[in-house]
Amino acid sequence: MDQQFLTSMAFIFLSFALYIGIAVYNRARQTSDFYVASRGVPPVWNGMAIAGDWMSAASFIGMAGTVMILGYDGLAYIMGWTGGYLLLTFLLAPQLRKYGRYTVPEFIGDRFDSHTARLIAAVGTMIISFVYIIGQLSGTGVVLGRLFEIDTAIATMIGVAVITVYATFGGMRGITWTQVAQFIILIIAYVVPVVFMSLQITGNPIPWLTYGDVVSKLGELDRELGISEYFAPFEQTNKAQFLALLFCLMAGTAALPHVIVRFYTVSTMKAARWSGAWALLFICMLYLTAPAYAAFSRFILMTEVAGRPFDALPAWTQSWIDTGRLKLIDQNGDGILQWSEISISNDIVVMATPEIANLGVFVVGLMAAGALAAALSTAGGLLIAISSSFAHDIYYRLINPQASEEKRLLVARVSIAVATIVAGIVALDPPGVITQIVAWAFSMAAGTFFPVLFLGVWWTRCNAQGAIAGMLSGMAVTMSYIIAARYFEFSLFGIIDTGAGIFGAPISLLATIIVSLATAAPSQKLQEEVMDLRYPEQMTYKDGEVWIHENTR
Amino acid sequence: MKKLDKQLANAYYYTRIKHISIYLTIWFIVSFGVVAFADSLTGFSMNGMPFHYFMGAQGALIIFVALLFINAVVSDRVDRSFGIDEEANERLGSGKTLDH
Repeated sequence: MDQQFLTSMAFIFLSFALYIGIAVYNRARQTSDFYVASRGVPPVWNGMAIAGDWMSAASFIGMAGTVMILGYDGLAYIMGWTGGYLLLTFLLAPQLRKYGRYTVPEFIGDRFDSHTARLIAAVGTMIISFVYIIGQLSGTGVVLGRLFEIDTAIATMIGVAVITVYATFGGMRGITWTQVAQFIILIIAYVVPVVFMSLQITGNPIPWLTYGDVVSKLGELDRELGISEYFAPFEQTNKAQFLALLFCLMAGTAALPHVIVRFYTVSTMKAARWSGAWALLFICMLYLTAPAYAAFSRFILMTEVAGRPFDALPAWTQSWIDTGRLKLIDQNGDGILQWSEISISNDIVVMATPEIANLGVFVVGLMAAGALAAALSTAGGLLIAISSSFAHDIYYRLINPQASEEKRLLVARVSIAVATIVAGIVALDPPGVITQIVAWAFSMAAGTFFPVLFLGVWWTRCNAQGAIAGMLSGMAVTMSYIIAARYFEFSLFGIIDTGAGIFGAPISLLATIIVSLATAAPSQKLQEEVMDLRYPEQMTYKDGEVWIHENTR
Repeated sequence: MKKLDKQLANAYYYTRIKHISIYLTIWFIVSFGVVAFADSLTGFSMNGMPFHYFMGAQGALIIFVALLFINAVVSDRVDRSFGIDEEANERLGSGKTLDH
């Protein structure tokens, strides 16, 4: 039990006590509370909760490492995971809010008046959220495994136990305020070490202004070593893959069921627009910091760690080598560690850097608490998406419409527990690095839901047959491409597994349009409901005319 | 409830569509556009780093956030100019949702 362990535990324990306290305080008592917090959350707070929900283990633990390893090519994650909010806020969120349904499957089921479409959307939501949650649990394993110096598998199981407890009892209202708290903790934890590193390296505490020069210096160091410059474009991947990944992350962001459900908690279309704007502002606090994190980490590794003799390496190196994610091998046998002899996994850069930069036990402890906040807040939102798809859309709407409120809540809680445990088992041996697993979920959301949601909201002629064809073809193409590219080295235009949605989405879009046009138009009532989404709440489209509700004040 | 002039209703819709198209065009240029021509934008610096890197790491993000806030403010103005009252929206919105 060293000092570091005790400090980290204290930070984690205090933050967990806070989340569980909030969840218990707000314990959901009704179904409407459980799913959408009674639609009364103000935009700024809702924006913060969206940000806490959104920023996952991939953002917190994985992203800066990915940017550091991939250089310019890693910026696809930075732009993709922020730019998607524009598609969401401009094209989908306000309209879905006016339609007023709890979940994505419910919107699709009611908009197309088809139980088949509802079932496909519910299963799609469950698959996408499930893949995403594997990444979160795998991130929890990285943090807890290093902390306790135990096997990652046991650490993952501890994370599973905690998340099951509070997601099961809290519901969405608990989670809304818990996620606000988690956002605040994770953003402080992320920015503090970067500010210290900026001070250490440049003497100026504002990393966003100073790291540009460090990026340029890294380029010079790379030139001296005769390797490609840090910021040189398309060195690690190629341009087609960059653009494909960018598209998938953006369209996936706009169509992820657990993010969309957040916009049902606002009161109006106007509040949905403001929530989107606030959310991206809070998200960018972390996303603007990640490239600085990457640049400083790489600079410290290149100038302070590389060049040391092997028998005088700092103590932290051994504990990370033990986790199997850091390798230092004296390839040329000169007894000195060279930059090219360091091989570091994307997933440990963020967690290891405060130790590398020697920032002290408090910063390292804070990082551990922040990383868990990121992983658990997203896992909480994902579990709600899975349980509402199952308990609400499949069980209540399809299997047993007479189910009592208690029974539905029970089914929701059981499905949360089952989903967490199964995802935990898969996460014991994760099928890729965190950002990669999460990128698959985005590709699937982009390929399965984005085209159907977009056309469903804006195109009156879009019908159930079209939506079913679109979702099935998009899902099939995206998943096959991921599997073919990941396990059978199949590739078109140099695009790898993470960019699979670039093929799924256009096929899904075309299938939806062609099948819709080839079959009968939807009923007059459904078409009018879609026309109605063009106008604010006070205007109603009915019988081919627009009606305005007069102010009754 | 009173009937709204067809042209006025269409004007509302097309104003919104026009604004959204402008925002999404800018969005496309600063993200996909800059990436597509990244190789030829490396020559000059911004905030200490090469321009293409600056756009990916900072420039695009700042423009994204600005566009979302501009959209929120401008949409509110459009709503007001068509006589839309947010309080009425809230009342109607909460009445319309499907509560089980």
